[in-house]
Amino acid sequence: MSWLLEKDAKTPFEAFLAHRPELLTGYRAFYASLWSEQLVPRRTLELCRLRVAAIHDCRQEWVIRDAEVALSAEQLAALERGDLQPFDQAERAALTVAERIPHQHHALTDDEVAAVKRSIGDAGCVSLLNALVLFDVNCRLKLTFEIPTEPMTLTQPPIKDGALA
Amino acid sequence: MSTLPRVESADPNQPASFATVLSHTPVTATRFFELYTEFWQRGVSPVDVREMTRMRNARVTDCGF
Repeated sequence: MSWLLEKDAKTPFEAFLAHRPELLTGYRAFYASLWSEQLVPRRTLELCRLRVAAIHDCRQEWVIRDAEVALSAEQLAALERGDLQPFDQAERAALTVAERIPHQHHALTDDEVAAVKRSIGDAGCVSLLNALVLFDVNCRLKLTFEIPTEPMTLTQPPIKDGALA
Repeated sequence: MSTLPRVESADPNQPASFATVLSHTPVTATRFFELYTEFWQRGVSPVDVREMTRMRNARVTDCGF
């Protein structure tokens, strides 16, 4: 049971963010731009989102899936334990940075950032870092507010029925 | 932690800063600043509480910027 009363909304996450509708609108637009701007491969975003959820042990985020990114049970299990072997070089570079964001941001090295820049360029690197920070924020919000867990498959992440998943 | 910007400015005539680096992603940058403005200019929590928590968060995350 959460600390806050739920507002009427299409997803559990928005039921809490809707206490400040102006912020919700801005937050939804900001978060959605990470997919719509298409500077990072959609599969990379999905891998990193799930890895950050696994680091936080955030069940609410872990049970959300991008319908376009089909990950095998083996790949999901690898993500959950932080094993990067099943993924390609560019994905491993992104996941290495993702690993640092929740609790080790000062340990991020120049070489780790450079590896991301080589694979997706400066703009992709900036977009990825924004995404990683927001994945981290979402987990913290969902865990702190004790938002209910609701499995969802998204055809247009991060939106489900017009609302943030 | 790096002491030099890891990504160059998106504007070759400007030094790397939070805004000029974020400008590599123009849509995201615009939406970020719209959201951040909403926090600061129309927030419902007292401005001194917001400032205290912002500064405390910077210390906890060891963010000298």
